[in-house]
Parts: sequence; structure tokens; C-alpha cells
Amino acid sequence: MTLHRTRFLSVGITAAVLSAALAACSSSSSPTGGSHAKSPVVIGASLSLTGDFSADGQAFERGYELWAKDQNAAGGLLGHKIVLKFLNDASSPTQAVANYQQLINVDHVTFTIGPFSSLLTGPSAQVAHRYGYALIEGAGGAPSVFATKLNNVFDVSLPVAASTLPLINWIASLPASKRPKTAAFPTSNDPFTQPQIQFAMARLTKLGVKAVYYKVFPEEPTQIKGIADQVAAKRADMVVLGSTAVPTVQGFTQAFIQAGYNPKIFLATAGPDQGAAYLKAVGHLNNDGVMVPNAWYGGSPNPQSKKMVAEYIAQYGGTASGVNADVAEAYSVGQVLTQAVNATRSLSNAKIIAYLHSAVTLSSVQGPVRFDSVGENLAATAFVFQWQKNNFLQVLPPGAGSAAVEYPKAPWGK
Amino acid sequence: MIASGLRFGGVAALLALGIVFPLVFTNPAVTSDAIYTLIFVAAASAWNTFSGYSGYISLGHAVFFGSGAYLTGIATLDWGLTGSQVFLLLPLAGLVGAIIAVPFGLIALRVRRHTFVVITIAIFFIFQLMAYNLQSLTGGTSGLLAPTVNFAAATYNNPFYYAALVIAVAAVAVSWLIRRSRFGLQLRAIRDDEDRARGLGVRTMRVKLGAFVISAVPVAMVGGLSWYFTGLIDPSSGFDPLFDVAVALMAFLGGLGTVAGPVLGALIIEPAQQYFQGQVSAGYLFLMLYGALFLVVILVLPRGVIPTAAEQIGKWRDKRREGDGGLAGHRLAAAGAAPDRAKELA
Amino acid sequence: MSQLPQAITDGILGGAVYALMAAGLTLIFGVMDIINIAQGILVVLAAYLSYALSVHLHIDPLLGLLITVPAMFAVGAAIEWAFMRRLRGRERTAMSLLVSYAVAVVIEGALYQVFGANDVAIQAPYVNSGVHVLGFDLPYIYLIGAGLAVVAFAAIYLLLYRTTFGRSVRATMQDKVAARLIGINVNRVAAITFGIGVGVTAAGGMVFGATNAFSPNSGYDLISRLLSIVILGGLGSIGGAAAAALFMVTAEEVVNIWQPVWATAVYYAVLVIVLLVRPVGIFGKPEARSS
Repeated sequence: MTLHRTRFLSVGITAAVLSAALAACSSSSSPTGGSHAKSPVVIGASLSLTGDFSADGQAFERGYELWAKDQNAAGGLLGHKIVLKFLNDASSPTQAVANYQQLINVDHVTFTIGPFSSLLTGPSAQVAHRYGYALIEGAGGAPSVFATKLNNVFDVSLPVAASTLPLINWIASLPASKRPKTAAFPTSNDPFTQPQIQFAMARLTKLGVKAVYYKVFPEEPTQIKGIADQVAAKRADMVVLGSTAVPTVQGFTQAFIQAGYNPKIFLATAGPDQGAAYLKAVGHLNNDGVMVPNAWYGGSPNPQSKKMVAEYIAQYGGTASGVNADVAEAYSVGQVLTQAVNATRSLSNAKIIAYLHSAVTLSSVQGPVRFDSVGENLAATAFVFQWQKNNFLQVLPPGAGSAAVEYPKAPWGK
Repeated sequence: MIASGLRFGGVAALLALGIVFPLVFTNPAVTSDAIYTLIFVAAASAWNTFSGYSGYISLGHAVFFGSGAYLTGIATLDWGLTGSQVFLLLPLAGLVGAIIAVPFGLIALRVRRHTFVVITIAIFFIFQLMAYNLQSLTGGTSGLLAPTVNFAAATYNNPFYYAALVIAVAAVAVSWLIRRSRFGLQLRAIRDDEDRARGLGVRTMRVKLGAFVISAVPVAMVGGLSWYFTGLIDPSSGFDPLFDVAVALMAFLGGLGTVAGPVLGALIIEPAQQYFQGQVSAGYLFLMLYGALFLVVILVLPRGVIPTAAEQIGKWRDKRREGDGGLAGHRLAAAGAAPDRAKELA
Repeated sequence: MSQLPQAITDGILGGAVYALMAAGLTLIFGVMDIINIAQGILVVLAAYLSYALSVHLHIDPLLGLLITVPAMFAVGAAIEWAFMRRLRGRERTAMSLLVSYAVAVVIEGALYQVFGANDVAIQAPYVNSGVHVLGFDLPYIYLIGAGLAVVAFAAIYLLLYRTTFGRSVRATMQDKVAARLIGINVNRVAAITFGIGVGVTAAGGMVFGATNAFSPNSGYDLISRLLSIVILGGLGSIGGAAAAALFMVTAEEVVNIWQPVWATAVYYAVLVIVLLVRPVGIFGKPEARSS
């Protein structure tokens, strides 16, 4: 019995010491809140530096840092130097919630900005809301985020459902004889892609394009080749692929090439917008003609965007086409925050929330931003981009600054 | 009797500390960490009640965590529950965990060792896929967001904390009761030699299944609590393959098959993981450091903290007693008692 | 139903790649009794090695196997020497699970540190081209994968059952003390066996990296599938693992025709059902492993 007594006693003591030590560590590091004259203003975010969203998380980190650097060079926020505080959430919502608790209650950040993906933004927004913080974000645009009707969420990016509209309008503008006759719609099981694919399929069917394939596959399919081969066997004139990331697009591309199938139009909802990361995965010979809808691209003529891209290249190297669109989404978050702070002349979250709900139109590298009552950006415009000879070009809607659509897309391996 | 009093005092002090903790450390970030730690204290204790005592290493307990979370989520949203009402669902979540554990156990417990480990993984993935694909029920990839709760911000975490504390204490108490019981003895006989235990008249399938079902209940309950506190359940975080690895790690670090081991393991690992995972300034070096630290601990303390510490203290005591002219043989007799355990079963 | 032959072809091709990745695991998991959770990340590590050689030194990935196989052998032998050897006693198998998990976390961190989080894929001329036989497209890379799998399984079989070393391995795994008594250097045998198991993974990693975009995060999806294959085939059965890989992936591909979202569930359901009927796996011997 001695053994048992010893065990219990030692555990009791150790646990007590541990808990106390833990609590002491956590609470002793808290600085006094409030802003002394020209003390730094700390802005916190939880980012996915490991796990499923790690590639996007890293791009987001660069976007936020680039903005902070630029804004500090321009005098910071109301003269306060910006200091960014990031915590890694490993792509887990549980950790993201813990991180925002930590940022708000221990690090006493002045503002919180968003994590990557709608999945993490939903619960993070509730934490921010609890403590009266605004959560300006660039990658939480799924309907589930806005369905909670929290007043503190502001998504600076493009709402997703109608993103393929420019392509659909362009196909409608073609003479009937030149339009694609058939289309395949494989989509991943994802809250982002499914609405886009269903929207595109409904509109294209109305234009007389026959849907020959519509199937949902898992978000991270283990055997992409099999699914892609089933699509390739349909030999449709166009493929609208509901993808969330590069590996899916790479898998479909490889299987299409192996099957000797080259659709006239190949649009993927995400992946080809990841710049250099996309090129590395599919290879420099296998991107020509691939399209992606988005609000921003590295070659955007927007002067703010041009400046950001030049700085990005100076810091990280590469080309304008190689800049991940996530970088612009994160940078825009910072820009919207800057304008709100300057307009209200304050670092108060309450004032900023009220200001952003006042239907003002702000500017960002992604274009104009104006929020509705649940924080969706109503002013964002959708573009369709196309890779042409390793350059990422805006092709739709047609007009000034748009390159001509490559149609039909060039053969693979050119 | 003094020592027994000491033990009672130690447990009482620990309990008292648990109760006053959120009143002393009021920072929500601290109580939030404490809630997740208590969730893992409950989960690791429950996992140990089955895997530690029986020697069957389950990597499928996340099935109960996820099922409890989804049940609580679906019921809350369907019945329009708010505020404290949701906590009343947690026993129901535990019941559902137990119900799921019956067929799960009947299938998986037919096989042993490696095959058991992999079949629990396989069943786990089938559940995860159901969460992804039964969209009308589970919300698919987007998961289920909890309703906004109108507790005051300053004390927001306290109800969650106490709910987690109650479940954790109950899980540890059950683990303690089982370890002292005939049932626990039968479980450990199965761990030592299942065929021999059966030969001695232990109804092995019934005993294993019983422990499996009992261990599912607290895991499902903290799953439900975790949904409400985090505010979201989705297939990848609800049915997380690393959940079982983390829980097993806690039990091993503290001492597999002991009552206090998993508790201590959770108290060390969960805060450590929160800290290491959060760090970004040193890039991925922290990830490597975290892995390396575990390697060292596992290799230095292969039997876990509690058994190793108990052994060291025992040795030290024996030495002292020897000096006093006491009985060193007493300890040897205690150490040799374990193999004879099977005899007690008859 | 013209899709069915295509799906079966894809299943066999994909299954061959899985067989190749699982080949080393049959040795480590099936013969050595170690649950090596790190096998998934080791496949990814091998893929990165091939990728780095091809991008930075312009060494063809297939030719690069001459470098990556010995390198991975060294990694495997080192893991055995540094960690696995030190596990003893009743909890050894369960402890191997945790140790290999910790090893996997360290390797994952190192890969993030060196290669970053973005997905990459191995490019080679034979990745996107292939032969057209009887209306089927057979990409060269999958044929190479199938060929390497045959070589790997044949080599492991010959090594275990036709050489003195193989006898030592089997003797060691059956009874360590007895093996030592008849003069076998037990530690060396274990290190070499583990090394071979991980070395073979180099080939699997190369083909995996050429047929999938991968990142340091990719190891997690692989490991449960590979463990399932080895269990379904029957622990210690070399041919069983190969058959299980072909069977599982083909079943998955056939379901892909109708319901891609349920394909993986079928994969695991097949495992559960088979084990209900035959708890030792398809080709496992009942007496091979008791307790």
C-alpha cells in the first residue's frame, strides 16, 4: 500500500506546483493595457504555419508583414509603431480559439486580424466578439461565417458564389457555333467550391452547354487520378473544377495529360492563383490556358497593388505572376484597418466597427471595399485569370487592361 | 494511518485547488488553457481505464470525442437550446458514446495487438468520412458552429471550466474504483496473458467490452463540451487522428495503467503543446524541439513518471529503513506480488 | 459501363504504387513488431530527397534512387540504433508507436524548415507520357512504380527466406534470447532490417512524389492507409501486402465511378469486414503471432 500512497501524494504536489507555475507564467507576462503616447500598437493574428493550411498561412504572414512594414514607413497607426504578434494554430479551430484568447487577454493586443480559412474564422470571430474586438479578415468568406450575423466580422475579399460570372458572360457573348457544347463539373466537398460549381453549372446549362459530369469528391482525395480519369473519359469541351488548393489541380492536370485529354477551357476555382507554388507543382510546361476566378492578380494595374508587388519581389524574389493571391488578401486587411483608424482618429474597436458599418467605400490592393450589415464586401469585383506562357494574365471581363482569352487552350506540354 | 491521511489530504488539496483555480486565476486565456487541459485529463484517464488496464492500445477513441461533439451540436441547434441548457446535454453525449462503443468493441475486440490498433484506426476513419459526407446532419466540411453564448465576458469561461472539472474528476474516480476492483484485476490479467486469464475463468470479451464502453463515456462528454466551448466542430477537428496519439502520449508519460499517470501526463503535455504549437518566431524549430523533447522523455522514463518516481522513492525509503535495521524484504515482496495477481482471480 | 475497365486499370496502377510504399513497412511492422507511425513521413522525406536532387543537381529521379536508397537506409538504421533498440518489455510495441510518432514530428519540422509549406511535385519526362495499350493509357511512371514494387517485394522475399541473413532475421524476431545464444548479433540484424525497410521506402517516395503534389503535411494521410494494407495482407506476409494494396485501391477506384466521397470509407470498410471473417488478414498464418 505504501506504493499507492506515495503515488497519490507526489502527483498531488506536482500537479499543484505545475498548475500554479503555469498560471503564474501566463499572468505575469501581461503588460498594462491602454496606449501611452506613441507606444507601439500591437496587432495580433492566429495563422496556420503547420497543418493543412500551412501554405496559405505562410503567404498570409508575408502579406501582413509587408503591410506593417509599409505602414510603419508611413508613420505607423496615428504615429504608433505597428508590432505584429502571430501565434500558430496548426490549422486547428481549437488552437485558433485558444490563440485569440491569448492575444486578447494575455498579450492585450489593440486589434485582431483574421486567420486563414472560413473554418477558423467562424469560431475566432466569436472570441473577438466576446471581448468587443473587430475581426477584419481576408479569407473567411463562406456563408457559414456571415450566417452568425456577428457585427464585428469584416471580410475584405470577394464573396465566392458568383466568381465565375465573367467566364459565363463571355461564353454567352460567343456565337453559338463557337461555344463549348459539353462541360464536366467535378468539385471537392467544400463550402467554398460547391456553391461556385453549382452556380456555374446552372448558368452554363441555360446557355445550352450540356453538363456531362457532376460529382463531389473528398476535400483531400487520395486517388485523384481515378476521379480525373473518369472526367477525362467524358471528353467534355470544358472542365470547371471545384478545387481548394494546388494538389488537386496538379492531380487533375497530370491525369489529363496522361490520358491525352485537353479541354478547350479548364477553370479551377483555386490553386492556379497561388503563383510560384502552383507552377512548381504542375511544372512550367503544363499551365498554359488554365483559368482561375479571383479578385486580384500580381499584374494588377492598381497603383497600390503595383507598389506592393514590387516590394514583395524585392524581399522574396520571383515575378509578379509568382505572387500568391493570399498575400494581397492579407495586405488588404491591413489597409482597411489603416483607413478605419485614420478616419476615426482612434484605436477604439467600437469606433472602428461602427465606421466600417457606415457603408463607406475604402480602397485596397484588391480594389474597392464596402461592407454590408454582416461584413461581406459588396464592392469587390470578380475577374477571371489565365496562365499564358508562364504569365498570369487577367482575361475577363474584357476591357482595358485585359489580355485576349486563349481559346481553345493550348495543348499540354508547350 | 498517517500516510492514508496524507493521501486523502493530497487528493482533497488537489480538488480544492481545482475548484478555486478560476477564482484566483481569472484571466480568460489561463482558464481557457485550463479547460482544454481538464478535457484531456478526462480523456486520458478514460482512455487509460481501457487501454492502460487491458493493454489494448486504442487509436479510435476520437470516434467517441467526435460523436459526443456532433450529438451535442446537432441537438443544441435542432432543439434551439441556449446558454447553460446545453450542459444538460453532456450526459446524453456520454450515453451515445457508450452506445457506439458496443458495436465498435464487438468488432474490434475480436482481434489483438497490432491488428486491434489498425482496426480502431479504420473504424475511426469511417466515422470521419460519415461526418464529411452526411452533410444534412453534420454540416459537412463547414461543420457546426455553436450559437453565440451570452455569458458575461469576464467570467465567460467559468461554467465550461466547472463542467470540465466535474467530468475529469468523475473519470479519474471511475478509473480509481476500477483499479481497486475485481473487474480491474481481471483487466490486468488480460493484459498480462489473455489466454491464461480466460483459462482461469475470466470472461474476457465481456470484461474488455465493459471497459471499452465505460472508457467511451467521459471522452464523448468532453467532446460535447469541447464543441460548445470552441464554438465549432468539423470533421477534421472532431475526428482528429492525433487526438488518440496525444492521449496515449499523456498516459505513457505519466505511467500507463496507473490512476494518477494520465492525469499528470495531461497536466504536463496539454499546456506544453499549447505553448509549443503557438510559437512562430523560431519557425519550425519548435516543432522539432517538441518532438525531440518527447523522444528524450520516453527514452529516459520508459515506464512513465509515476512508476519511475515511485520506484525511486521506494528505493530511497528501503535504504533508509535498511539503515534503521528495518525490513528491506518488504519491498521485494511487494514487487514480486504482480505475477501472482492471476491467482487472486480464482 | 465503359468506366469500369478504366477504374480497374487505375486501381491496379495506383495499387502498385501503394504496394511499393508498403513494401518496407511489411518488414518493419510485419516482421519486426514495430508500429512505425513515421513510415508516412519517411515516404515524404524520400520524395523530397528525390525532388531536391532533381531540382538542384539535375539528377534524374530514377537514377537518383542510387543515392536516395542508401541515404534512407542510413536514416532507418540510425532510427533503430538511436531509439527503437532502447525499447524493452511488455509495452515495447505500444512504445514504438509513440517513439516513431515523435520521430515523425521531428522530421516534419525539419522538412518545413528546409522546404517550406508549399506543395511540390517531382517532374520527369516519364511522368506525363505513357503507352496506349488496348484503349488504356498506361503512364510510364506507374509502370516504373509497378516494376519497382515487383523488384522490392522479390528482393525482400529472397532476403528473408533464401539467405542466411534472412534466417537470422526470422530467428531474432521469433526468440531474441535463443538467437543470441546461437551466435546471432541481434542488434546488428535489427538495425539492418530496419534500414532495409526504410531504404525500400526511397523508391516508394520517389514514385509517390512524381504522382502526387506533396508537402511536409502529406505523411499523415499515408500512414493509416499503409498500416491497413499490411494488416489486411496478414502480418509478416510479403505477398499478402502486395495483394492487399492492389485489392484495396482497386475497390476504392471502382467506388469512385459512382460516389467518390465514399471511396475511402469503402477502403476501410473492406479492412473491417475482412478482419471480421479472418482476424489474421488474407494471407496471415494463425499461429504466426499469438498474444
